[in-house]
Amino acid sequence: MMVTFLRQNVIYNKQRDCMKKNSFYLICGCIALALLVIFWYSVEVHIRFLAEISFIVAIGGIYLLRKKVTDFVEDERTARITEKAALRTFQVFWVIFCAFSIGAVMQILYVPTFPREHLEIHAPELLGPRMMGYFQLALLCLMIFLYVGFRIYYARKYGEWETDEE
Amino acid sequence: MKNKIKVFRAMHDMTQEDLARAIGVTRQTILAIEKGKYVPSLDLAFRISRHFQVNIEEVFVYDETVLTVTAD
Repeated sequence: MMVTFLRQNVIYNKQRDCMKKNSFYLICGCIALALLVIFWYSVEVHIRFLAEISFIVAIGGIYLLRKKVTDFVEDERTARITEKAALRTFQVFWVIFCAFSIGAVMQILYVPTFPREHLEIHAPELLGPRMMGYFQLALLCLMIFLYVGFRIYYARKYGEWETDEE
Repeated sequence: MKNKIKVFRAMHDMTQEDLARAIGVTRQTILAIEKGKYVPSLDLAFRISRHFQVNIEEVFVYDETVLTVTAD
């Protein structure tokens, strides 16, 4: 009697730890909605840490949930598509980021302009926090677009949407 | 890299889905390998050939013309 109970309990716990792909997507949607509400609230009350911490918690939660999904089949081809898209995104991103950073460093160090006879000493023009925010937003959007673009490109290259005569 | 997966599948009366499930990959991966869009890793190539109980050289054939074109 006790053994049967324990066995049933173990089976129940195993089933509880598993999750289907659709349930995972549903929960992800709910988390995204909750994040949207939290972001809106954090803007309203001017507490930016609330948005930042909630974002980290949400990503951590999604990562933990992802490990419980049983019907995700991720093989070496899909891993390669992800890997190549991420690498190419990073390669483009660091060039753009470095180009901007070089400009910013030149401003900070105050590199004089040419010709030298019109040299005027003035304070370097740095980006304000608002402009910096816009710049980071633009970089974030760029990264997302680049990643999606490269992912589509490599998915097509490695036969993701190929049709079969079978 | 050329391969005879389609031939071996036909010999064993298997669909792409059956083979994919048997070796733990997606059907799209089998399709991509068959069409030459994706070259499998050594591990996956061995798993496929082991599944058909043949040597790896019988399923996968190294295409030397690719090397010649590259060298030119």
